[in-house]
Amino acid sequence: MKILVVEDDATTGSYVAEGLREEGHVVDLVDNGRDGLIRATEGGYDVLVIDRMVPGLDGMSLVKALRGAGVMTPVLFLTAMGGVDDRIEGLNAGGDDYLVKPFAFGELSARINALGRRPKISHEETVLRAGDLEMDLVRRRVTRAGKVIDLLPREFALLEHLLRRKGRVQTRTMLLEAVWDISFDPQTNVVETHISRLRAKVDKPFGRDLIKTVRGAGYKIEA
Amino acid sequence: MAARRIWSSTPVRLSLALVALFALVSFASLTITYYVIRTPLEQSLRDTLNQEMAGFRVVPSASALASLVRSQSQVTQPEKRIISYRLPNGVVVGNAALIADREGYRAISLSPGSASIEGEYFTLTEVLHGGLLTIAVNAEPVAALRRIFTRVFLFSLVPTTLIALGGALVLARRSQRRIDRLEAALNRLARGEFAARVGPIGGTEDDLSRIGEQIDAMADELESKVAALRQVSSDIAHDLKTPIQRLTVLLERLGAMADLPEPAARLADQARAEAEAMVRTFQALLQIAQIEGGSPRARFARLDLSALARTFCEVYEPSAEETGHQLICAPADGPLPVLGDKVLIGQLFANLIENALRHTPPGTEVRVRTGGGDDEGGMWLEVSDTGPGIPAGEREAVFRRLYRLESSRTTPGSGLGLSLVRAIADLHDARIELGDNGPGLRVAIRFPPIGDRDAA
Repeated sequence: MKILVVEDDATTGSYVAEGLREEGHVVDLVDNGRDGLIRATEGGYDVLVIDRMVPGLDGMSLVKALRGAGVMTPVLFLTAMGGVDDRIEGLNAGGDDYLVKPFAFGELSARINALGRRPKISHEETVLRAGDLEMDLVRRRVTRAGKVIDLLPREFALLEHLLRRKGRVQTRTMLLEAVWDISFDPQTNVVETHISRLRAKVDKPFGRDLIKTVRGAGYKIEA
Repeated sequence: MAARRIWSSTPVRLSLALVALFALVSFASLTITYYVIRTPLEQSLRDTLNQEMAGFRVVPSASALASLVRSQSQVTQPEKRIISYRLPNGVVVGNAALIADREGYRAISLSPGSASIEGEYFTLTEVLHGGLLTIAVNAEPVAALRRIFTRVFLFSLVPTTLIALGGALVLARRSQRRIDRLEAALNRLARGEFAARVGPIGGTEDDLSRIGEQIDAMADELESKVAALRQVSSDIAHDLKTPIQRLTVLLERLGAMADLPEPAARLADQARAEAEAMVRTFQALLQIAQIEGGSPRARFARLDLSALARTFCEVYEPSAEETGHQLICAPADGPLPVLGDKVLIGQLFANLIENALRHTPPGTEVRVRTGGGDDEGGMWLEVSDTGPGIPAGEREAVFRRLYRLESSRTTPGSGLGLSLVRAIADLHDARIELGDNGPGLRVAIRFPPIGDRDAA
């Protein structure tokens, strides 16, 4: 993917840029809002990573200007302010996701990947598959290698979320938001617990693991 | 209540005092004027009586005096002048019988019932030759004067006082209304509504409008200071979090180094966790400030308290298991609608449950309940435990920022959880009740009925 990073702090900016390059992305880094606006309107980016407080033109105004000009490239806001209001303000201004500093690189990377491929998630499929695992959304039934697996509603929702994003890393906080609808970090290992319960039902009896742990980032399903 | 308020109002008291003073001064000046005019009038009557008396004094004997009185009486109308002499033997001569028993001047009033003549008289009595001679002159001018002054009093002073009283009360009520507006603005400011202003309250450049302007100036300053404080906190957030971000970036790179020995990698992870804990405390402080500074209620929506309770029980179940607590989720069946901010109410549940798990020993029961909607109409949520509880004297203090009970100094936590709970409850006009769970602590949050807020 081609990614534009607008970040005025050199350490954070270069770290983010280098990390994303290592993952195989093409990254441009600018340290002020004006340059960010010019680059972003020139186009060609798959994702924009924008710090909310950058000199020249602040992140919010930048995104408003972009959206006003019809540039719909997905935007991930980085911010030092993590209040509920700030988050909602950011999303209202046209941001697609919001990451509060300090963040781990894995989190950022997972969220960028989610944004970049977002349109491809289809909600029209009625059967999701990964290897020999099948989820029938209409009958709300999960089978693996033909055997029916009983899942609690929350386990079902968790598995559905991972299956819909097959191959993409989902972080703890992304799962908390999507499955539990909690947009703050409650500092519990509820995600880990549910993942391990899910593994006990979906993976353990079949010998081959579909649910993978990505160290320092999160989980993904891969056949 | 309203009547008591009227009497305790300064303008009303002042105007009453003024009217009373006015009435008193007017009455006094009227009285003084009356006496000033009456005194020479009386003096001239005395002079007349004295001259008359002088004519009788020169008479040599009682019998001669009696015959002089008799002859004088015949040509004198008693309405104008009365001459009456009581001889030493008790016989009274004259044009009317006026019996005085001692010497000197006197004012008398003859009423129709007691005498053949009536009216006001001024008399002089003297002992002459063993008998008492009394001369009386009609004192009609003095009586007329008194009547005039009485009329002046009744037809001028009394209505004037009543009109002044009425006017004063009207004026007092007007300034009371202005004072009420000052009071209302001050009350709102005290409640933290920094946008409250007195505004123009009428009256040109008087003391009340000046006080109003000063209150508004004070509120302007307060508001700009609060705004500046908010700006400062977001600046601090940015300036402090950026270096922490760098720190975590560096620690993350350090931890990811391939040839790092295992203990060093663990240390790097620990350091990162510490940095994150630092940010969380900081985040909580900022969030409390933001909510207390007036988080918009525009985001409020109907949410289900019971569903939230179930979600957060589930979220904290693993933590409870880890610490050996028994987390019992017992929300009311069916939806419990509350108008609020879903994220904040979620944090409220999270903080209360986390607090209970953190400050009670393993094995303690932590119970989450919801209910309401029956009698008062408001919904409530409650988190109770069977732990050590909070001493009654310290219950109010635990809501203070960074306050920690002596007994919980050694347990982890920032001391911000309950401050955040209070800020969120206040924003929702909800009441917090800390109670004894016998043993343990019971924290209940009572929300106002939805209708109330819609009306407000």
